Amino acid sequence: MKPAAGVLIAAALLAAPASAQQPMPVVAVPPLTTPDDQRTSAGTTLNIAWQASELIASDLRSTGEMLAVPPAQKDYYSYPEVTAPTFSRWRSAGAKALLTGFVQARPDGRLAVGCYVYDVENGRELGRTGFVADADDWRRAAHKCSGLVYQALTGAPGIFDTRIAYVAKSGSGGAQISRIAVMDGDGRNHSYATAGDTMVLTPRLSPRGDRLAYVSYAGGRPNVRIVDLESGNQRPLVLGQAMSFAPRFSPDGNQVAFSMTTAGNTDIYVVGAGGGMPRRLTSSPGVDTGPSFSPDGTKILFESDRSGSQQLYVMNADGSAQRRISFAAGWYAAPEWSPDGEKIAFTWRGAGLRIGVMDADGSNQRMLTTGPLDEGPNWAASSRELIFQRTVGGRSGIYRIALSGGAARKVTVPQDGSDPDWSGTRE
Amino acid sequence: MRRALLVAALAASLSGAASAQLRFPIIQRQQPPPQLVGIDALRADFIARVGSDTVYFAGDSAVLTGPARTTLAAQAQWLRQHPEVVVQVEGHGSTADTRDHALAVGARRASEVRDYLILMGVPALQLSATSWGKERPGAGRAVTVLVR
Repeated sequence: MKPAAGVLIAAALLAAPASAQQPMPVVAVPPLTTPDDQRTSAGTTLNIAWQASELIASDLRSTGEMLAVPPAQKDYYSYPEVTAPTFSRWRSAGAKALLTGFVQARPDGRLAVGCYVYDVENGRELGRTGFVADADDWRRAAHKCSGLVYQALTGAPGIFDTRIAYVAKSGSGGAQISRIAVMDGDGRNHSYATAGDTMVLTPRLSPRGDRLAYVSYAGGRPNVRIVDLESGNQRPLVLGQAMSFAPRFSPDGNQVAFSMTTAGNTDIYVVGAGGGMPRRLTSSPGVDTGPSFSPDGTKILFESDRSGSQQLYVMNADGSAQRRISFAAGWYAAPEWSPDGEKIAFTWRGAGLRIGVMDADGSNQRMLTTGPLDEGPNWAASSRELIFQRTVGGRSGIYRIALSGGAARKVTVPQDGSDPDWSGTRE
Repeated sequence: MRRALLVAALAASLSGAASAQLRFPIIQRQQPPPQLVGIDALRADFIARVGSDTVYFAGDSAVLTGPARTTLAAQAQWLRQHPEVVVQVEGHGSTADTRDHALAVGARRASEVRDYLILMGVPALQLSATSWGKERPGAGRAVTVLVR
């Protein structure tokens, strides 16, 4: 009886990760306007307004969750019309939502950017937002407008004003060079946080995106290091010779949970992000690793092979009340708690490596990808999408996939990439 | 061993029971001048005398097999004779494993090898351990690498 149940669960796991796709909502993005075309360090305000509109349309399309009617000159609104737009033409175009807005030069040389989202059907305003930004930072303001639309239509935080860290790889085999790379969520502002002189793994951004924890092989052994992205200053997370890896920041950014190996045994520890004595949270003779905090910081999710195979466990943030939450066929690894606290993403290890999700209590699990070499899922700020690593023909790349269904889409980066980490929305 | 044979031959010749052909002059064995041996030569000698710098593991296991123990006993003998050599035991996980778990499995394998070498009499100070997880070629094994 028991084996039969196991086979049934395995069959369910292997079933195609299909889910009914709803028709995607259409968002009209006419050009943002400007009350007075003025020169700034980043171009004229009219020019910036046009580029910002294109970026917003591109942002919304990149989610795979909505269609955007891109800006066209004929759709240009005057400044007063931004808060009193006409809706009939968008209704006939089948749009569900309309975004209007403006870019204005301020006397201090900075820009004011305002955005409004409307429900086209009944002409109701769904939300508005405004920012003051340096002229050269207009992209971030546009991303905030994209986030306003995304939140109005999905109820989830925007994923556009974010950072992505990953391991950039060039060369192959023993001659492979790996560097920690950091870029904006749209691929801009790409830079490297390490020099490539030593192997690096698993970058993890702090919640505010100002610091990064990663694993370095400087010294021949894996050790967690913390780098301040602003200053470039680096330091080891903990002192001593023990191997340490699998770092993750707590939601408040004040602590880092990680794995440390002593006498061959790997356990989970937590330490202040600024240093101090690490506190040991697990003590099983098995491998305990992959810690991930719940969004409220009270619990830690992790993987352990204490039962004989890798499974997912949850414990209180002080290490108490450890309990297993994965019970179906196969092995489970690399869990991460979704930002909204509702779900857990994981790597499933059976016939190859695949990406799956389950509810936070371990129920309702399903596979999102078919592998064979997909791993390390990491949540978007929206909790509606994942970024992960896929290896095809020996080369690794970064992909994203929406929980609502559809195929995984490759994220464009300059080299091969692995271990992606997607930050929350920036303040 | 050789010295013991010499002594035996000497004893035999002195007893007068041996033929004339077995009369050896007593040779003063001269110590060869101290030779500076590079790490490459040491590595070649290690492989030649020990047989292998590598032991293999099953699946996700870190349990030393019979053949692994035989190899490690030979490694330990060589290392005891070369107390000046520092080695690092490098454990590897499986490419089919997930990243962090592979790191931990490689670390456990390296630790098992290090512990066994210590058990076989190699001073702990001569040994260190690391893990490459699944990041470098060499899945499913632990390699004893002469560092200096």
